[in-house]
Amino acid sequence: MAATTTSTNETPAASSSQPSASSSQPNATSSQPSQKSMSKAERRELQEKQRAAKLAQKQQPQTGDTPNKPKAKPKTDSAQRRGSGAAEKTQSSGVDASAMDIETATNKSRSLRIFSHFGLTKHGHGVKGDIHPCIIRLALQFSEFRICGANARCIATLTAFKTVIQDYTTPPNNTLSRHLMTHLSPQITHLVSARPMSVTMGNAIRQLKLEISGSDIDMPEQDAKDLLCQKIDDYIRDRIIIADEVIQDLACKKIKDGDVILTYARSSVVEKVLLSAYKEGKRFSVIAIDSRPLLEGKALLQALTSAPPVSWTLSRDSLLPPPPPIPCTYALLPALPSLITEATTVILGAHSLHSNGAVFSRAGTALVAMMAKQHSVPVLVCCETYKFSEGVMLDGFGKNELAPSHLFQTSAQTPNLEILNPLYDLTPPSSITAVVTEVGLIPPSSISSIPMALGRITL
Amino acid sequence: MDICATYERKLQDEQISPPLAAILSLSELCATSNAGTMFELVKALNEGADSLRRNSSNPISLNAGCELFIAFVTLFPHDSVPSASFSELKMELVKQGETYVRQALTYRSKIAELGVDFIKDDSVILTHSYSRVVMETLMLAHQRSKRISVFVTEARPRGLGVKTAEALTAVGIPCTVILDSAVAYAMEKVDFVLVGSEAVVESGGLINAIGSLNIAIIAKAANKPFYALAESYKFHRLFPLSQYDLPSHNPRILSFPTPIEKDRTAEKTLSSASPNFRSASGALSSTTQEEIAKNNPDVDYTRPDLISLVFSDVGSLTPSGVSQYLVGMFH
Repeated sequence: MAATTTSTNETPAASSSQPSASSSQPNATSSQPSQKSMSKAERRELQEKQRAAKLAQKQQPQTGDTPNKPKAKPKTDSAQRRGSGAAEKTQSSGVDASAMDIETATNKSRSLRIFSHFGLTKHGHGVKGDIHPCIIRLALQFSEFRICGANARCIATLTAFKTVIQDYTTPPNNTLSRHLMTHLSPQITHLVSARPMSVTMGNAIRQLKLEISGSDIDMPEQDAKDLLCQKIDDYIRDRIIIADEVIQDLACKKIKDGDVILTYARSSVVEKVLLSAYKEGKRFSVIAIDSRPLLEGKALLQALTSAPPVSWTLSRDSLLPPPPPIPCTYALLPALPSLITEATTVILGAHSLHSNGAVFSRAGTALVAMMAKQHSVPVLVCCETYKFSEGVMLDGFGKNELAPSHLFQTSAQTPNLEILNPLYDLTPPSSITAVVTEVGLIPPSSISSIPMALGRITL
Repeated sequence: MDICATYERKLQDEQISPPLAAILSLSELCATSNAGTMFELVKALNEGADSLRRNSSNPISLNAGCELFIAFVTLFPHDSVPSASFSELKMELVKQGETYVRQALTYRSKIAELGVDFIKDDSVILTHSYSRVVMETLMLAHQRSKRISVFVTEARPRGLGVKTAEALTAVGIPCTVILDSAVAYAMEKVDFVLVGSEAVVESGGLINAIGSLNIAIIAKAANKPFYALAESYKFHRLFPLSQYDLPSHNPRILSFPTPIEKDRTAEKTLSSASPNFRSASGALSSTTQEEIAKNNPDVDYTRPDLISLVFSDVGSLTPSGVSQYLVGMFH
């Protein structure tokens, strides 16, 4: 970014005035002409200066051999304010806020410079319009990772939108089909500010927009709202719930008695597949591989081992005892090489699936898939078609998300040590045997033909 | 009506392959059934297909035909024959089935036309077992005065490679039968591999007579192209993950016999007594060719990454093209 070059240019000047910089800065900026009257270039120049000053200030203690106390302070609000882009966004909200942002931004960009775009979230504060309480609650649940997982987030979002739509009244001299979307947009922006939008949410919202713009102008408002809610319910049922059931059926056929199924982290679909295979009476065991920081595999392990006990069954006039619960092995990612040889099939979940067949999923999935490929273990990815994304993804660096460090604090904070926890990674199509979708088992190379087969131009 | 007998009768025809025989027997079932509704008809057809499957040792290729016909019947527009009774609709279905089979018989020459361009003059071809479509392609190349020579594997246990060799030698194509175990040895001299198929599956892979996988792996290791020839009615909606995931697999295949402890001790005492006796009993009665074949698989699954191209009547497809075609066909 240009910031790096300009800051080095201006550092000597800034550091010369260093001692007074920290205290006099707000005053200095307030003595400037107000933000509104400045030209864009001027504003940028000012910002660069501030940044350079902060950088210099931060470097100073190191050279001056003083313990760097101010380090600990900005750690807490890490995920929200990161990257200079976010700082620029909020500049209009006040000089003080932007100065604080710059401070955190420079602090972060030292260690996460090439990953700074990962956590780039927009701020909810600047959003115009009123946010519905249920959206505010949902945004909190998202940002606290109380609702996590592509399917859960999509269903929660759509359900919240149903409430928003029901509580919405079209202002006079406007029509629902034209105005509702402008009412929903700030809600969406607020959700995105809590956590970046998932592909599933994006697809669902695109479908919703299509339905809204297509709704009949002459229809009474309540009817139109009911119809939209009905459409949302249909979407959840057809594309998620029923799709999951079909995927369960298809994937269960690939589980045979005596199999050892290896899975990674926790996917709601994979969990359902394993439980329904167990219910069908298949005798197999599961290796659940897990990894920090989320340790989602624990939840899977919990669900599998506490599977509702199948009661005594009557078979040929004799009572059979309930089968033992699924034998599970829980291990962390480093143990994978020694366990992969035991596995007969690897079943994974997905966050989204791209046109080139690459699977975007929880960080670590690529490692599991590649290791399985190396050992000739077939890799199945369970993924509903509504998770398909038209784009092509080549690696996990272009777009990703960081696990907020304040939620998943793993060890004692060490100065100068910044923990990087990307949430996702990209599994190349070459290490996937088949994708289990509701339209059948499909090799990843043929994924691009599915939307066509479903009669859709866009998803 | 005995559908299995009909199926066997249809198979007597040299030109009819299992999927086509299945389509013909199902359309015959359609004609004779007294189903009064579409639901009953499809149910009867499914039952017929089931009994065919049960009575066949290797149901994969005939299943492809059954699926194709049943999918055709269910998707058949009910109002295509205006103001017709159901029996007329059934007759229409039978007619369509027969038309399809007649058309399907021309597919082989279509594939031969496609494949023959890949056969250069003076090439050495390795083929496996006996396949009608491979024969037709080789014959066509010979007619176009391409000087080809052919290695054909013996293809145990059925030994159909000998049949290929005889037929090719009869028309004047130089042909040598090689042992199944000599494929790696011969591969150095081979320009490309040409095999037929029992079924082409959704992954883009291939199900063919046992030994095809060996040839494909060796061809891959030697960087020789591996071409498969398959009529489109052999495309099958199936996604095997491994050899053991094939529908033809059963627990008997490649099972380990329970070793009999007593015999071993008995043998030991015998062998110490008279070494001659031991060599006689060494050729145990269970190691005859038939006994070995009984516990061995008939077909294997060749992964798509080992296949260069699949020639079919819908065009020359890469394995991923095959799966795209299949996804499109059944949706």
